[in-house]
Amino acid sequence: MEKNQFIMIGIAVALVIAVAAPFLASGNPDGLESAFFSIHGAKDFQGDELDEDAASAAEEKVVAITGNDFAFEAPLPDYSIAGMDKPGEVLAIVVGTLLMLVLVYGVARVTARPDN
Amino acid sequence: MHIPDAFIPMGQALIYWIIALIFIALALRWARRSMVEEKVPLVAVLAAGIFAIQALNIPIPWGTSGHMVGAALAAIVLGSPYAGIFVLTLVLLVQGVIFGDGGITVMGANIINMGVVGGFVGYYGYTAVMGVAKNSYAAAFIAGWASLFISAILCAVELAIAGTFPLDLGLTFMGGYHAVIGLIEGGITAVALYLIASARPDILERPAGVTA
Repeated sequence: MEKNQFIMIGIAVALVIAVAAPFLASGNPDGLESAFFSIHGAKDFQGDELDEDAASAAEEKVVAITGNDFAFEAPLPDYSIAGMDKPGEVLAIVVGTLLMLVLVYGVARVTARPDN
Repeated sequence: MHIPDAFIPMGQALIYWIIALIFIALALRWARRSMVEEKVPLVAVLAAGIFAIQALNIPIPWGTSGHMVGAALAAIVLGSPYAGIFVLTLVLLVQGVIFGDGGITVMGANIINMGVVGGFVGYYGYTAVMGVAKNSYAAAFIAGWASLFISAILCAVELAIAGTFPLDLGLTFMGGYHAVIGLIEGGITAVALYLIASARPDILERPAGVTA
């Protein structure tokens, strides 16, 4: 396979995953969140049910424990665009994927070992 | 496994940032010495693919989900643990700053857990298993699984120090969920390595395949 073709296919695969992710991704808490909620009584270790009230209480409790109340507004929170629902999620992840491509290309270009 | 800001006190988070910055400096030194310009598009595509697949949470039992991290894959394909750190640092930066996924003050801890541990366990796990089994894909699977599992164990220790979890419960729960999520990491790492090796065997730092 030609090098350019390989790179183009790589970009296409990344974009297909980006478009599909909002439709396929599980909304369940991830391993860290699940462990946190289980330990703080908002769900059973093997349980499917999340007690939303207990989960919110646990999130407040942990700020009191650590004292870290740093907060900022991310422009596209949770891979979504306000008021745009699923199409917004697709757009957010596609934008993120393209941003990664450009950012990493730029940083790698600047930091790479010159060929000669 | 992205730690949010609230989970670690500011002072401890700063220490993790300092440790992370040392590894980022080493990763930049690796790039200057070993990442040839020709590899730049590959590094960019790997990073974009890893970002996209990190958004794909796969359900596991027990009302939980998990996604691939990708540091092991980057380290194996580019032939250095520092490649995992290089790629994951930029992925975590964009996730934290643009998407609010993973905290800002705690980004150093996330870079250590996913980039540094993922890169080192992924790379050396792969080399070690290759030395015994001579099967790239089995080695990639085991190295991927181990990289994710050990990241989760370190994360549990950090959160015990932070006071967010008790250590025993943290190790049990984080270990339990991530032993399963590691199968996702191992599986995708092996499949991605196979696809890359099939399309462009020359691109890999060390040849992949199965030898008797």
